[in-house]
Amino acid sequence: MSNAPSAAAADNAVEIIGITKRFGAFTANENVNLTVRRGEIHAIIGENGAGKTTLMNILFGLLQPDEGKIRIDGGDVVFTDPAAAIAAGLGMVHQHFKLVPSLSVAENVFLGMEIGRNGLIDHAAQIEKTRGLSERVGLKVDPTERVGLLSVGIEQRIEILKVLVRGARTIILDEPTAVLTPQESRELFQTLRRFVAEGMTVIFISHHLEEVMEVSDTVTVLRNGKHVATRSTAELSKADLVRMMVGRDVSFDRRPREATHGKIVLDVRNLWARDERRLPALRDVSFTVRAGEIVGIAGVAGNGQTELAEVLAGLRPASHGEARLNGRDLTTLAPAEIRKAGFAHVPGDRMVRGVDGGASISSNLLMGRQHKAPWSLRGLLDWKAADKEAEAMIKRFDIRARGPHDTVKRLSGGNIQKVVLAREFTNDPDFLLIDQPTRGVDIGAQEAIHSEIMNQRAAGRAVLVISVQLDELLTLADRILVLFNGRIMGEVAGDKAADETIGMMMAGLQPAGKERELAL
Amino acid sequence: MSDRLRAFYGQVVAVAVALAIGAIIILMVDESPAKVFVTLVRGAFGDQAKIAGTLLQTTPILICGVAACVGLRGGMFNVGIEGQLFLGGFAAALVGFALPLPSGLHMIVALVVAVLAGAAWVSIPAYFRTRYNTNEVVSTILSNYVAVLLTSYFTIFLFKRPGGWSETPPILPSAYLPEIFSFSRLNWGLVVGLVLAVAVAWLFRHTARGYSASMVGSAPKFAEYGGIDVKRQGFIVLLASGAIGGLAGGVETLGVHHRFMEGFAPGFGFDGLIAALLANGSPIGTIFTALFFGALRSGSLLLEVDTNASREIITVIQALIILSVSAQVLMKRRGDSTAGERRWKF
Repeated sequence: MSNAPSAAAADNAVEIIGITKRFGAFTANENVNLTVRRGEIHAIIGENGAGKTTLMNILFGLLQPDEGKIRIDGGDVVFTDPAAAIAAGLGMVHQHFKLVPSLSVAENVFLGMEIGRNGLIDHAAQIEKTRGLSERVGLKVDPTERVGLLSVGIEQRIEILKVLVRGARTIILDEPTAVLTPQESRELFQTLRRFVAEGMTVIFISHHLEEVMEVSDTVTVLRNGKHVATRSTAELSKADLVRMMVGRDVSFDRRPREATHGKIVLDVRNLWARDERRLPALRDVSFTVRAGEIVGIAGVAGNGQTELAEVLAGLRPASHGEARLNGRDLTTLAPAEIRKAGFAHVPGDRMVRGVDGGASISSNLLMGRQHKAPWSLRGLLDWKAADKEAEAMIKRFDIRARGPHDTVKRLSGGNIQKVVLAREFTNDPDFLLIDQPTRGVDIGAQEAIHSEIMNQRAAGRAVLVISVQLDELLTLADRILVLFNGRIMGEVAGDKAADETIGMMMAGLQPAGKERELAL
Repeated sequence: MSDRLRAFYGQVVAVAVALAIGAIIILMVDESPAKVFVTLVRGAFGDQAKIAGTLLQTTPILICGVAACVGLRGGMFNVGIEGQLFLGGFAAALVGFALPLPSGLHMIVALVVAVLAGAAWVSIPAYFRTRYNTNEVVSTILSNYVAVLLTSYFTIFLFKRPGGWSETPPILPSAYLPEIFSFSRLNWGLVVGLVLAVAVAWLFRHTARGYSASMVGSAPKFAEYGGIDVKRQGFIVLLASGAIGGLAGGVETLGVHHRFMEGFAPGFGFDGLIAALLANGSPIGTIFTALFFGALRSGSLLLEVDTNASREIITVIQALIILSVSAQVLMKRRGDSTAGERRWKF
């Protein structure tokens, strides 16, 4: 082997050779090889904890490998910090955006490399350059807008612009679609294709199979920190990818079920609510959920799902209408009383609402039970009992943790979600509101979570599942309601749900033959 | 556990950095840092009487520190402890000289009134916080000035002892907090503070209400979702914090001064807040940080006698500790430099 760049090697934008990275006794990457050709979209997939992000952090100079080396454009490099990687033409868009909300779009784009004039920042030039770049690459932004007011989709565009301004020829995106609506994802993919058409290279981390199939040219699969395979996407089926990722076959077919006809548990009538900007977010929503039934709420994110969940949970006032759980109107009750009425809630924004990340698993599982036996007696907590209960739940829900005292934020996304499920599903509720059951959760855990939800259905509970992932609803729901612009556009039976019908309703169109008046 | 250990090391480093910069400043006034620090230690722990003097200074800092801990753990930044201390101190003095009661009972009634005065004083910012979501940091800071001047007014215009000083008549001996040793004014207030610190730590850890309060402090949205009445909890936490602040004033009046006077116990409320911050809001940790600040105060008395450094160097070191503790918090978050701002977005 020679270090001189050969003609073939020069076609490779990035070569990662034999990278090993250990954190104490834990090996995050073991002898990983990865070759990314110039001008391709290269997807890296694997379950949570497979070592994708670690590998990319090493490539970007955020971490130092214990063994192995990196070549960029055929030449050996050592990146001691991200600045060196940026200088070599790499750019990374992180999973969690690092923008300053109080600054404008242009100021964020040029943060740390401001265009100066006479020692002052030349705002006009920055705005002009941002606008020019944004138009040239098709990432629409208003350079003068304050970032704090923008949606996540736009924030991501700004992150990409930041990377481009710094001269990146190879862009690494860490789970870019996790925070996007399907629409925004599609726009992102178009942008990425335009990039590679211009000779740039894209490395795309994901665990969302459809997207990988849709957008990538080549796929590399990682499992348990090891390289499993690198293949051309065209040669692969979804099932192949799943098998390589998980190491076994996983089924996301529709779950078999017995027909049930339970009594009405949740009865929502003419519900209206407003969002933060005081605009109507829910418009005259009515539906019911019966015992032993899973009702799915489909829709593009931001069409009233969050508001619906919050109103039902008592975290947001309704402006009109009612939502009766076993006859009691939830819109008049405080969260504590709603829970007492038999309501369990798996929130969509897990890290903010669902857990206290800095606290232990025991402490998180205690929430809502701090006044109940056996967790407490006459106002005094029994931590031994709490730990014992926690251990039982860790076992039952297969939470991968060292024990009940493990800090929640150290767990992977899937395991954090299991902590939330464990707490909510064991309260013996009549009604479960599950918002985004598997967002950011890896495939193996997704299957387990779906099984738990089906168990709840079998136990005769009424379940409302809100998800932006349509395939998830097709797997779980008996009936699917489609929300658009705060209004229920229609209802589809779960086993007869043709994708196109739901897709049309998600876009705000009435399916043919089902004319309905659109009164505003 | 390793988290807690790391936090502990972090604070030790913060103090060390502050002392190092302090040393440089001492060099700048042509004095030997070694001599200054040795003098400080001698002044704080040199003999029995000095140790007692240090503990005497520690007592109000400790109680104020516990008051701050209650707030910090419950998600309320009570910067008004100084004011609650003044109100509590004045209220205890008022009961002490104006309401003759049997020995012992008199002291207890005076302390209870001090507690109520502190709670009543903080109830104003607490009400605005709960009702209108007014930032409690601003309103409690402002309430300090009003408290200090209000008690001055009471003392000078309504209850002034005949004679030259701006002070109330002395309290009756039946309301005294008994002294522990014959050679020092050190009194049972220290024991009150220690018991209180342990009790508050225990309440937060082992009671359902304590759990609810600390969840509101560490993850308010999670607490709200979990069915805790966040506003009510915040009100209670501020009230409890203010009550303990009032107690600190009562202890100072009944144990040390035996009267209320203008400018009584200056800065103890703020020192307590710093002690609590340095201890990461842990009441047990505050016992040690309060002792540290108490020793600085007490040791500084010897500073101007034996060295050329001004005792104000202590204030400088305290300020440096605040700076380095805050810098440390910022550095911990440098992974996400926008974390501070993000908080307001949600």
